[in-house]
Amino acid sequence: MLQMKGITKNYPSVIANDKISFDVKIGEIHALLGENGAGKSTLMNVLYGLQNLDNGEIFINGQQIHISSPKVAADAGIGMVHQHFMLVENMTALENVMLGLHQAKPPLLDIKGTREKFNSIVEKYGLVVDPDLPVWQLSVGEQQWLEIIKLLFRDVKLLILDEPTAVLTPAEAHQLFTTLRFLISEGRSIVFITHKLDEVQEIADRITVLRDGKLVGTLNKEEASSFQLSTMMVGRSVTLERRPRPIITEKSPVVVIEDLQCKNERGLTALKSINLTMYSGEILGVAGVDGNGQRELAECITGLHLPTHGKINILGKLVSKVVDDSSLLGFIPEDRHRTGLILDFTVYENLVMRTYKDPPFDWHGKTNWGKVKTFAKELIKRYDIRTPTEIVLVNTLSGGNQQKVVVARETNGQPSVVIASQPTRGLDLGAIETLHELLIKERNRGAAVMFISTELSEVMALSDRIIVMFNGEIMGEMDGENANVLHVGEMMMGHRIEN
Amino acid sequence: MKKEYQINQLQINSLGIIDFLLASSRPIFSVIMAFLVSGVIILIQGINPIDAFSAIIRGAFGNIGSIANTCVRATPLLIGALGMTLGIRGGIFNVGAEGQLYIGAAAATTVGLLPLPVPSWLHITLSLIAGILGGSLFAVLPAFLKAYRGISEIVVTIMLNFVGIYFVSYLIHEPNLIGKADASYAQSRDILPSAALPVLIKGTSLHFGIIIAVVLALILFSVLKYSRFGYRTRMVGANPEAAHYVGVNVKRSIFTTFLMVGGFSGLMGAVEILGFKHSIFDYFSGGLGYDTVAVSLLGGVNPLGVIVSAFFFGSLRAGGNLMQQTVGVSTYMVQVIQALVVLFIVGIGFMKPRIRKQKSTTLQPIETNNLEG
Repeated sequence: MLQMKGITKNYPSVIANDKISFDVKIGEIHALLGENGAGKSTLMNVLYGLQNLDNGEIFINGQQIHISSPKVAADAGIGMVHQHFMLVENMTALENVMLGLHQAKPPLLDIKGTREKFNSIVEKYGLVVDPDLPVWQLSVGEQQWLEIIKLLFRDVKLLILDEPTAVLTPAEAHQLFTTLRFLISEGRSIVFITHKLDEVQEIADRITVLRDGKLVGTLNKEEASSFQLSTMMVGRSVTLERRPRPIITEKSPVVVIEDLQCKNERGLTALKSINLTMYSGEILGVAGVDGNGQRELAECITGLHLPTHGKINILGKLVSKVVDDSSLLGFIPEDRHRTGLILDFTVYENLVMRTYKDPPFDWHGKTNWGKVKTFAKELIKRYDIRTPTEIVLVNTLSGGNQQKVVVARETNGQPSVVIASQPTRGLDLGAIETLHELLIKERNRGAAVMFISTELSEVMALSDRIIVMFNGEIMGEMDGENANVLHVGEMMMGHRIEN
Repeated sequence: MKKEYQINQLQINSLGIIDFLLASSRPIFSVIMAFLVSGVIILIQGINPIDAFSAIIRGAFGNIGSIANTCVRATPLLIGALGMTLGIRGGIFNVGAEGQLYIGAAAATTVGLLPLPVPSWLHITLSLIAGILGGSLFAVLPAFLKAYRGISEIVVTIMLNFVGIYFVSYLIHEPNLIGKADASYAQSRDILPSAALPVLIKGTSLHFGIIIAVVLALILFSVLKYSRFGYRTRMVGANPEAAHYVGVNVKRSIFTTFLMVGGFSGLMGAVEILGFKHSIFDYFSGGLGYDTVAVSLLGGVNPLGVIVSAFFFGSLRAGGNLMQQTVGVSTYMVQVIQALVVLFIVGIGFMKPRIRKQKSTTLQPIETNNLEG
């Protein structure tokens, strides 16, 4: 049905798609698997005409086609359900379907005919949506059904679903899968974008794995084991050596987490009864596929996210609000652009964000910028931040150096706890190694370090102890020195392994 | 954390004198373009635009009286635009200055009407404080909704403007309140002489308010640049999520900043009454509150720049009358010029990121840069 050959898409500083070939047969569900930023969405945006490709060819039913806009894609029978729905909130479900649909007697709306067709689709595919409710009153699942109904109205032959289950409850996801199977039985084809391995194995006929904008491979369902998929997905082309480190014998508990439970932003359970202790002089690696509760765990420890049950103690003190004592806790958040830095501020202004209200920088409410600049110069030297001066805007620095600004700010107060959440995401190998060195230094100093990463090889290289998270639970714990990659991979899929 | 805060979409430059000079090319360009375009409009009316503009200049700077007039016009604009500037720096886009200034003016007038047994300077101070409190009080609702409920302050403040204007209208229509009995045009009673701001130059309308305004600008500049409060406020304005992550109480910061912004607007109304108008009448402000947005943007959202732009707008307002009298171009042309200035500033602002992005592709690979690079 569809063939894409040698698709290349360059962005200013990264190659989002590098000579990717991809094909979909009639009547199959083809899963597109990869970590965030692997190039899945770019590939599909190219197919849907949202992005122009720099190089490559697209064929539909054997005919080459130049997809210059979503309209061309739609005319070719391609439809896409975006991760963020494209619905008009104030209109009813029926009105949303009618938008842009060719009407029988223009300019009049064919409400009756549309309603009949709407009801027949609802009945046939089991996608129950009340046509007369405004979209904002529909549940997220129903909104997704509505998006699919919209495509079926246009008799789409190839459906692209971008992370459709991210917003669904397990029951809704189950319903979605049933519908998808029915759709392919009618001879339609489906591209299913996801980063969840268990879904892939449940629904896909074939699986294509992307990593860092490159094609890793395409497997048939029968040949794909979860371990193979996970290594294809997260394994880097360069393996990282395990870092040598001094043995620290005196370890004391620093962070004690008891029966921690919390919900995520959508009110769904994110953590189910976590019990965990972090020790001084230890790097605790947290492995797991993205979105299994790691972020909530980090934000609960830092006090940014309040638990619904259970408690967290740092050095005997209960965490009840944001921990802003820079000698107690340093936090490297996972998105340095959004939450780690203020990009329109200078380097020195970013470096003092944690300590601006403490002496010597603050004197009766007046900030001593002279002292701040001296302090910034010292940190730039100590952390080897490559910047011309401390007064340039932080957004002119490279990604690795921006991250060093965050690390410098969060660790210069010698905190007892350092939480690093995906600190190496989007960095190149050199920057990753530097960051690992910085975290090892923190450990050797005696800090309790938590290193959260979806990159298995990094967790293996860096951790003294490894826990694996799946679906808001800790699947198991092992010693970092002798950890078995196979076991970690299995736990990432949600299997418990008894050592 | 929920994405309750919107990051400011406005392009604002960092705070500093050199930054201001560098950044001032954009406002200057906008002003020149605005004059060119409005010149064409005047030309279509069959009038020589040079005559019209020179009339504005003479009306604004021709003699000591007209210079005083320019300063008087600039005074409330400057105070209000400082509030706007503080707001934008702190993540608030307050379009409610108009309503807040009416409430502030009414509060100041109320105190200014009381025959207090105190010296004049104290009476003035109390009246000014009443104005500040009035403006702040009127900002409590939008501040709460913005900070704690994530509701856009723009819609709320625009709507509240009408509430403020008509509430004050009610006050001045009632002789039992502050209204003047047997007035031909509804207005409040005149404030007592002891509450009036002193005139600086005899025979002109130039009053003490200009000093208050300029001093406030200098204070706000140093507060934003050098104080702990200013730094925290700018953090919240520039990236509320990052501020939250380092432990700033973002909601409280937005709430308190909003009240201060309202206080500036209230003070603007109070100074206009105590220094110049001496009584409130319907629509006495002539849209001063709305103009603060333009003044702040033209001034580069920098208190020092705002001084310049407030005087620029003040001179337009002062010179507009002479233009109407001598060459017959309506004073509304002044508002056209103002609007054009804002359009050009905002228009260039939207073009700028694209230019910057193109540059960054050649100079600064963003993500995959090697550390050695």
